[in-house]
Amino acid sequence: MSNEYITLISSDNHHFIISKPAAFVSNTLKNALNLNFKESETNIIKLNENSLVLNKICEYFYYNLKYKDQEIDVPEFEIPTEMALELLVASDYFDC
Amino acid sequence: MSRRPLQYRKDQGDSTNGSSTSSGIRGPNSALTEFLRQQGINAEEIRQRHLRRLAGEDEETEIVNVDHSEISSNNIHEDSTQPDQDAEFDAEELEIRIASRRKRRAAKDNADEYTDSESENDINSTDRIKKKKIVGDEVSCVQCSKTFVVSVYSRQDQLNDGYYCADCTRVQQENDRAIKRNQMISRKKRQKLAVALLDRQDVKISSLQDLSIKKITEKIEDVDEFGDIGTINMKKIAKILCRNRSLNDSTLNLFLNPLLEKLEFWDCSKLSKGSYDKICSYAPNIEKLTLLMCGKFHNDNLKYFSNNLNRLTHLEVDGPFLINNESWQTFFISKGKMLKSFKVSNTHRFSDETLEIMLKNVDPQIFECLKLSRLDGIKNKDSYDLLPMYLTNLKELEISYPNHEDSVDDTMLINLTSINGATLNTLVLDGCSALTDEFLINGLKPFCSNLRKLSLQFLDQITDEGFTGLFHGWNINLGLNEVFLKKCFSLGDSGIIEMLLHSNSTLVELSLNSIKDLTSLAFQILSCNNLIYLDIGFIRSVDDEVLELIQKKCNQLKLIDCYGNNRCTSKAQIREGLKVIGRQSDTV
Repeated sequence: MSNEYITLISSDNHHFIISKPAAFVSNTLKNALNLNFKESETNIIKLNENSLVLNKICEYFYYNLKYKDQEIDVPEFEIPTEMALELLVASDYFDC
Repeated sequence: MSRRPLQYRKDQGDSTNGSSTSSGIRGPNSALTEFLRQQGINAEEIRQRHLRRLAGEDEETEIVNVDHSEISSNNIHEDSTQPDQDAEFDAEELEIRIASRRKRRAAKDNADEYTDSESENDINSTDRIKKKKIVGDEVSCVQCSKTFVVSVYSRQDQLNDGYYCADCTRVQQENDRAIKRNQMISRKKRQKLAVALLDRQDVKISSLQDLSIKKITEKIEDVDEFGDIGTINMKKIAKILCRNRSLNDSTLNLFLNPLLEKLEFWDCSKLSKGSYDKICSYAPNIEKLTLLMCGKFHNDNLKYFSNNLNRLTHLEVDGPFLINNESWQTFFISKGKMLKSFKVSNTHRFSDETLEIMLKNVDPQIFECLKLSRLDGIKNKDSYDLLPMYLTNLKELEISYPNHEDSVDDTMLINLTSINGATLNTLVLDGCSALTDEFLINGLKPFCSNLRKLSLQFLDQITDEGFTGLFHGWNINLGLNEVFLKKCFSLGDSGIIEMLLHSNSTLVELSLNSIKDLTSLAFQILSCNNLIYLDIGFIRSVDDEVLELIQKKCNQLKLIDCYGNNRCTSKAQIREGLKVIGRQSDTV
């Protein structure tokens, strides 16, 4: 279990447990996990994002994973208007 | 219709003959009859035509046929016995009536056909079954050989001339639906691919950044402040806003902050005069400013800029036609010494005198980038001839589409390159069609050792000789990166081959658009390891074979434009990662 899944911890201490391939959608997480950091041993990453945004980010990871090879009929990824800017800042950080 | 003038003449002759032979006495005429006679329309002719048409139509229904024959026999009778005006009139009217009836019937037939073709797809086609008239009969299913009673819903099999039982019909229906769905999906897919191809994009899932940016630009009016989104994202948003034409006075504020050093707006057409001043007041430390399509950029704005933007070194403006010569001149007098780059295009209010004042006021040691494009105010050749006297350190030079082609000539450019050749890396001379081979051989070759980008579009006097002379043994230059030769009509194989031999390994972008005399020989030489973009539109010799050859030899190539080459088809084998745009087969 510990090898397959990554735990992301938000600033308000919510834990998001996602699969490794999902986490690898983000280049930032990919780099953190592939290099010799503490994160790559423990598979736990503390992040400075609030749980709402991190939730959406994780949602996108799985959305990307599911639809990246599909060419048509990809449903639109829903982004709440009020979250768009926060999400842009976060996605800039996650590089995804 | 085409028969009418002939008829007219013939009938005229007839009528004159008729009048000479007959008594020439006529009864009272209606205006219509008179008109018909003048036009050479007579009843006999119409009747003949009508009969001919009737003979051609065997598929008339009985009733109508009877109707017709009755009427036409009446007509014949009347016409032959008494070629009366009334009969003439009747016949004409009749003709119209018949024609309209025929039209109606044709429309009805068409409608029937239409529904037929629709119900062909529709599985519950009752029409066909009715025709066969076996509903209620007991037959065996063509699929499973089970005996069953044919109902109106039973499916007919055209091949075996039989019917499916209820269960098999259902299976068939499902198959049909699946086929239809697959067709729809593949059609959608093709459509999407074709659209993406034209946009030069890959069909792949968009990143969360792009998704967020899209959302933000949709609701840009509600955004108060961007926050720390990074300069790349800021630039992306600016680009999208410009493309959507939603950069306006309120959205402009989002981009301005005191730390900003570089600002690029591609479409300023909705910015009002006050907004330009805001750039000054909110972002006073700006160094590089690009304002394209800035039609409302006002004299006062430029004045305000020159007073308040103390660090401005790069200015690019497109379409600043409200700025008059006096304003430009005061701007250059106050800011000229600091300018490193000045690009202006699309204005008629930039005169000879203004150019001279600009040249006199810039510091030749630091001024390195000049663009003068589509400036119709510069009318004297002498103005361009001044360039070599003031500019000594140029890195980029664009002089394109001058008011008169003779304004920019070989001598001036040879002078200019002899002074600036060592530093010059970009030279754009599109549309200066007075230039000839001489400037290539005596200007570029001996001096331009660092030239990397060369654009000579629409230079129709450049020939093979010039290109051979330039590129053969051009050892001081190690190779060009970007070469644009669109519509250099006089070039041919030998010049292009020489160019390729010189720059084969360094070329990144190349346009050979409309060099119509190129043959496949030139493309055999083309083997550029670094080439990413190639435009080979409107070259007759380009076909599937050439395309395949090119993609084999240029392994980095990502994009080929081949508009106007009819012999490029979908049959060409194109490798993954290379996009070929402009083939007829790629239509949506």
